[in-house]
Amino acid sequence: MIPFLLRRLVQAIPTLLLSSVLIFFVIQLAPGDFLTTARLNPNISPEQVANLERNFGLDRPVWQQYLLWMQNMLRGDFGLSFQYQQPVLEVVWPRVLNSLWLVLLNLFFFYLIAIPVGVYGAVRQNSLGDKAINVVLYFLLGFPSFFLALITIYLILQVRNATGLDIPVGGMTSNNYEQLSTLGRIWDVLKHLLIPALVLAISDAAGLTRVIRGQMLEVMRSDYIRTARAKGVGERSVIWKHTFRNGILPIVAGIGGLLPGLISGAGFIEVVFAYPGITPMLLTAINTQDLYLIAGFTVITTVLLIVGNAISDLLLAVVDPRVKVA
Amino acid sequence: MKKALLVALAMTAGSAVAAPFVWPAAWTAEQNTANKRGGEFRDYTISDFKTFNPFTSAEATSVPDTMAEGTGLFIQDPRNDDLIPYMAAGEPTVSNGGKRFVVKIRQGMKFSDGQPITADDWITTWKIHTDDKVGSNSYDSFFLNKKPITIKKIDDYTLQFDFPQASSQAYVRMAFTPWPDHIFGKAYRAGGAEAIKKMWTLGTPANQIVSPGMWVLSSYRAGERTVFERNKYWGEWNKDSRGNALPYLDQYSYRITSDLNAALAAFLAGQIDAFGPRNADDLAQIKRAIDSGKLKATLLPNVSPQASSQWIVFNWNKASDPAKQKLFRDVRFRRAMSHIANREAMIQLALGGLGSENYFSVYPIFKQQIAAGASAPKYPYNLAEASKLLAQLGYTKKNAQGYLVDKNGKVLEFNLSTNAGNTVREQLGRIFADEAKKVGVKVNFTPIDFNNLVNQLTAKGEDRPFDAILLGLSGGSNIWPFGSNVVPCGGNLHSYNNNSKGTCLTPQESLMTKLYYQGDAEIDPAKRRAIGAQLMKAEGELQPVIYLVGGNYHVAFNERVGGEYPRNLMNAYYGSRMNALTFIK
Repeated sequence: MIPFLLRRLVQAIPTLLLSSVLIFFVIQLAPGDFLTTARLNPNISPEQVANLERNFGLDRPVWQQYLLWMQNMLRGDFGLSFQYQQPVLEVVWPRVLNSLWLVLLNLFFFYLIAIPVGVYGAVRQNSLGDKAINVVLYFLLGFPSFFLALITIYLILQVRNATGLDIPVGGMTSNNYEQLSTLGRIWDVLKHLLIPALVLAISDAAGLTRVIRGQMLEVMRSDYIRTARAKGVGERSVIWKHTFRNGILPIVAGIGGLLPGLISGAGFIEVVFAYPGITPMLLTAINTQDLYLIAGFTVITTVLLIVGNAISDLLLAVVDPRVKVA
Repeated sequence: MKKALLVALAMTAGSAVAAPFVWPAAWTAEQNTANKRGGEFRDYTISDFKTFNPFTSAEATSVPDTMAEGTGLFIQDPRNDDLIPYMAAGEPTVSNGGKRFVVKIRQGMKFSDGQPITADDWITTWKIHTDDKVGSNSYDSFFLNKKPITIKKIDDYTLQFDFPQASSQAYVRMAFTPWPDHIFGKAYRAGGAEAIKKMWTLGTPANQIVSPGMWVLSSYRAGERTVFERNKYWGEWNKDSRGNALPYLDQYSYRITSDLNAALAAFLAGQIDAFGPRNADDLAQIKRAIDSGKLKATLLPNVSPQASSQWIVFNWNKASDPAKQKLFRDVRFRRAMSHIANREAMIQLALGGLGSENYFSVYPIFKQQIAAGASAPKYPYNLAEASKLLAQLGYTKKNAQGYLVDKNGKVLEFNLSTNAGNTVREQLGRIFADEAKKVGVKVNFTPIDFNNLVNQLTAKGEDRPFDAILLGLSGGSNIWPFGSNVVPCGGNLHSYNNNSKGTCLTPQESLMTKLYYQGDAEIDPAKRRAIGAQLMKAEGELQPVIYLVGGNYHVAFNERVGGEYPRNLMNAYYGSRMNALTFIK
């Protein structure tokens, strides 16, 4: 296992180097820079803009900026965010944490929905229930998650207006959050997380459910399942131990991809629900051309992607005895 | 005996604490006669706060700016635009030809941590703002024509300001917010600019933040909500006209909404107390909510013009295309273009009927200056006049497509760009192009990326990369309402002519530059406005920039809040209320 990890580490170096070059220069391709709006501000003199350019290092050629950035990054310094005038990691970390809660809850629901529904579809293939689920999933697959979120918000508002129930529609905490007890705070956050996490899980689960259903069906037709059944193995054991375990291999292989997903947030759901996660912040950073914030965050997710893939391979070896890491 | 003791006590208290600043009753239409105190004013902002640090903050709505509310040696009276002593104990002693100001500071003022506010706080703040390594947004306000303004401490409660030349903006420049020397001074002396940049980041606990003003940070939740609470020491020197400590409110909070639509939704749901309606659509939604009884709020449309302008500028530096350069430099051409601009249609179509016509770089909201320059020439919508002027330029014949051609058969055309995504500007450009076509001018209108546009506009040299640009500017004060980098030749927003040497090309341009500096140095408001009037006249004649239209400012606030300005004091410049006098009914 250790040689495998070492090999992965060595492979990661050129990958990271190349991706960092790409990240940095692609960002630079966009016209203008962080100070473009300052140039149009009648209250800021050109001398001060030049001074800020010098302070931010924007007056240097792009390759010099890249080398400097690379040098700092090797020392664990991702640079300063222009907007916040703070190290990138300090800016990003609280937002990542917020996103993490949402994504974790979302994953919980995601698997909670996708696995049983997928298995059900395979076991009761072509039953009325299976067909009904298929129709719903077809719809959900075609729905962008943000649109589903908007519809949900509309429905919540109708319910709120009709019943007076205090169902949160956005944000992460209530206005009186500071006055709540620890337990109250946890409940408050959970209340806010619930709906966005569910919406996201439902819209995402559509894809996975279909994959599980297909995989299960394929495995169920194989010889060893028939053999197991013929030997008198219990139905529960056949489905969960023999079929399911073999059916989820491709899903395990994909788990590594979750790692960067954990910190890169829940995307537009965060924007629609005004959730203070990483996505709204990154969108602002892209808008204001906060170079190091975008680049730094992208590099972190790239690293996690590489680590996640390695973990995936390890997990696959655990689940599937045919696969060996060495 | 008891009475004598009380009198003695009152007298000692009186000498230790200087007289408080009394907020004029006329600054509010609805006085708090019921003595209602407490409560929270719920405001909104569309972008998350980036820092608590007053020296690195660069946002439009910021934490330091909110805490700075209710500070400054002088404040502007919305009734007459005068600057009156505020943190200053009285009018300054002026000497040295209007260049030296000795200001006594009001005694008894304290920061929110109870430390007294003294001259040292001003000195430290000035030093840090003017350190170019800090990168403060206020850097420029401590320089006049690149020469520094110096500040000296005479004693703990006296400051001496020395200006390199007389300045109309002297009082405004002196009115910066003092930040605590016992916090920032200490850090600066130990670690210089780098230490200052590390102070008061978003990670700093709210209880370590100290404020000189009305509010102090109470809690901050990234991307959600930021709450300020009343600085109790501020009320010791700020009283209402009946002697009550201000502010009436206990808290002031910002909800961070992802955009203005979300803010409008929050206002309609009664979750925030005020909203700035942008357009007819916003107004209609609010009105519907009020009419249906869902929302109890006051809606005041068309309170004043916005403090901004939209304009078209022609590039005078086109060495690569001498014909166009000659055309753009010809005053008759630019006057014709002003005649083509159908400002009424622009207001009706692009602004939904809610706008004001602009003819000068001075925003129409700055009424006193506009009135002073009333006789300056304007070139309003008139296609016949435009055709006449273009005929004088040799454009008398039209081709088969209906476009004017010169004697070589070359079509009269130019490219006009604006920033893509700004729907109002895109509509203004289309209206302009449509009207131009009526007289036979071909306008190739293309919205492009904002950053590209700014790079083109601020490019320097003999051959700059654009024909014409439609854009807008905002910002500036009503004291000397001309832009320091807009009017004088060589300024980076002197966008019609920005040659490599930064020189003027026409006598009017030189005159405008001269008048700009003359007015900027004139302390007497009446004389200054007279200079402004001359400047407006030169600007009107030269038409270097074709000013089009600006939107109007509308006010909407929840019924639960009181203490707003009288209607005649509300405008886009002063806003709709002073927070110190705002109360919850």
